[in-house]
Amino acid sequence: MKKMTGSQAVMESLLQEGVDTIFGYPGGAIMPVYNALYDYRDKIRHILVRHEQGAGHAAEGYARMTGKPGVALVTSGPGATNLVTAIADAMLDSVPMVCITGQVLASLLGSDAFQEADVVGITTPITKWNYQITKASEIPEVFAKAFHIAGTGRPGPVLLDITKNAQIEMMEFSYKKAPQIVGYQPNTAPNDRQIAIAAQLLNNAERPFMLIGHGVLIAKAEKAVKEIAEKAGIPVGSTLLGLSALPADHPLFVGMLGMHGNYGPNVLTNQADVILAVGMRFDDRVTGRLSDYAKQAKIIHIDIDPAELNKNVLSDVPIVADAKEALTALVAKIKKNAHKKWVEQFRAFDKEEFEKVIRHETHPEEGEITMAEAVAMLSKKTKGEAVVVSDVGQHQMIAARYYKPEKTDSYITSGGLGTMGFALPAAIGAKVAAPEREVIAIIGDGSFQMNIQELATLAQDDIAVKIIILNNNYLGMVRQWQQLFFDKRYSFVDLKNPDFVAVSRGFYVDAEKANKREQLSKALDRLLASTKPALLEIVVKKEGNIFPMVPTGASVEEVRLE
Amino acid sequence: MDEIKLYTIIIFTENKPGVLYRIADMFLKRKINIESLTVSEIESQEMSRFTIRVKGDHLAVEKITKQLYKIIEVVKVLEKTDEALVFKELALIKVATSNAEKMRGVEDIVRMAKAEIVAVGSTYLVIEKAGSEEDIDSLYALLKPFGIKEYVRSGRIAILK
Ligand SMILES: Cc1ncc(C[n+]2csc(CCOP(=O)(O)OP(=O)(O)O)c2C)c(N)n1
Ligand SMILES: [Mg+2]
Repeated sequence: MKKMTGSQAVMESLLQEGVDTIFGYPGGAIMPVYNALYDYRDKIRHILVRHEQGAGHAAEGYARMTGKPGVALVTSGPGATNLVTAIADAMLDSVPMVCITGQVLASLLGSDAFQEADVVGITTPITKWNYQITKASEIPEVFAKAFHIAGTGRPGPVLLDITKNAQIEMMEFSYKKAPQIVGYQPNTAPNDRQIAIAAQLLNNAERPFMLIGHGVLIAKAEKAVKEIAEKAGIPVGSTLLGLSALPADHPLFVGMLGMHGNYGPNVLTNQADVILAVGMRFDDRVTGRLSDYAKQAKIIHIDIDPAELNKNVLSDVPIVADAKEALTALVAKIKKNAHKKWVEQFRAFDKEEFEKVIRHETHPEEGEITMAEAVAMLSKKTKGEAVVVSDVGQHQMIAARYYKPEKTDSYITSGGLGTMGFALPAAIGAKVAAPEREVIAIIGDGSFQMNIQELATLAQDDIAVKIIILNNNYLGMVRQWQQLFFDKRYSFVDLKNPDFVAVSRGFYVDAEKANKREQLSKALDRLLASTKPALLEIVVKKEGNIFPMVPTGASVEEVRLE
Repeated sequence: MDEIKLYTIIIFTENKPGVLYRIADMFLKRKINIESLTVSEIESQEMSRFTIRVKGDHLAVEKITKQLYKIIEVVKVLEKTDEALVFKELALIKVATSNAEKMRGVEDIVRMAKAEIVAVGSTYLVIEKAGSEEDIDSLYALLKPFGIKEYVRSGRIAILK
């Protein structure tokens, strides 16, 4: 066994877990760890963000691309509390993350010491697990446990709070990965009987419908989804976070579910006779009014988290399992089939949606540039092969609707928490994780100003994220609701924005602006051709609305096209 | 909506710091009020046993049972109604007994209720009663007219039938 300080043990533990990149921000209570990191800087890449929230979202972006836990390293007190939003975000979107926070000396705990905050207390409701390390000797065991918990089962954020004395003390290092934890043994194998019942239901179904969610991407079950869909001829709809699990142009992919999803999948949810829901959790944004949601259908629900089964929607066949294992077992038992008429029904709704919404959104003949037109053009130019990281608001829904991903892991957004300010730092994490892919952050003018400081991170580490600002000079999503549901009383949604191009250049990130239709294509070409971080501000229609829309409290059938 | 009933949730956990906080937080998050709570060490020293009494409909109780498993330290959760349990609560009641007549009155009730006098002062008696929550409630009601100086209950302990 090797003798070392607690801080060195932190580094060695990270190496044991295969960590090659961390996102962080130093400060008093974490200085010993930063001091150790200095010796490990050629083995572990540290990206210095400009605000700890940025570190958290960057770690999330990294995790979403790699499937491995992202790591954020911050100091005590304000450093840790700045991380809170990102932790809550990771919790709701099942993103594996290990957050390391410094803490005051163990002897000072509870004394209101300088920069002391009860971080374990604050983060208990928003972490999968957290723990305060007060002795150096605990470090290897607790780190092994943390990575195991963050990355297995239903992934999530874990926080380790390390008191300063534990960072300094000497200890003897030995590491054992994936320790046994009595109360934590996630079940991944499906129950054979449940699979048989599910197969029988699907084999007898006339109007089967598969709903896929983030769990499909997490479990890497994309191929299995495709196999089942193709073998049994089942149309597939996706939640916001399930997007890109199936290529957008797959003949059985029928679009997005939920509030701003597509017309057909919403309406036809209430006509399907068997629903196969995989790695999705029937969030209220997906189901609309629950009492009128899919009442006619037999529901097969596959999720690795037992607490999700029967939480919102009662299922006839609940299956606790890893999505890939369950679907692989299922595909062997289902019969070849096609449901041509049923799939055509979706296509009929598509036509109507195209005529009433998509055509004039993506191909407006005059007036200002629309968000949809810009995103559709981007989608074409990148052949759907880029990773789109979107922020929160109208532009997020537009990106989800009009970017047509052809590769998996191509649409990253803050779904569950809906965190404005997510996209820029998350795109940094995604690009660091997958430098070979084009990573494009699509951000609203409001959202951009929530973590705009991360432009400096981009510039310092020369991370070639491409930023598109869809600028409507409004908190557009809120404005839309005020227009539709609050008599057009535009209460504090109007933004006097900074000159984004000047701001960006001030951060040493190349920037340009397009406000005329004629400029758009060339400007996008230049953005995509750049090998450096770059920003394109597109000035778009001020009062554009997102349709279709299932108004809050309405049933999915009541989805509106205008 | 299901019928609202009293449920006893028994939770076995690793005996680690903060588990009570995590469990309490789960109930807080779901807005389920805790009627009573007892925590004790169990046979093997590293484990704790929580006995929690809650009021709710079956679905809500089932949901929280599943969510409790999300707490890493939680090893097993059982959710039972009274029929499936042998259960008891302990109460200590300090009753004012300013004169002999009152003292006799209290003694009669204690005998009837199969309770026990565990301490005697010049102006009070301390009564101990082990029984169901209802037994304790009715004893309390009988003693109340005498004047209750202090009153404490343990919360339920329960064992499966
Ligand atoms: C941190 C945070 N604060 C507030 C909100 C509420 N909210 C949701 S969308 C939105 C407007 C977003 O504006 P912008 O980024 O310009 O996007 P747009 O809708 O205009 O495309 C707001 C304020 C939120 N989701 N997150
Ligand atoms: Mg806006």
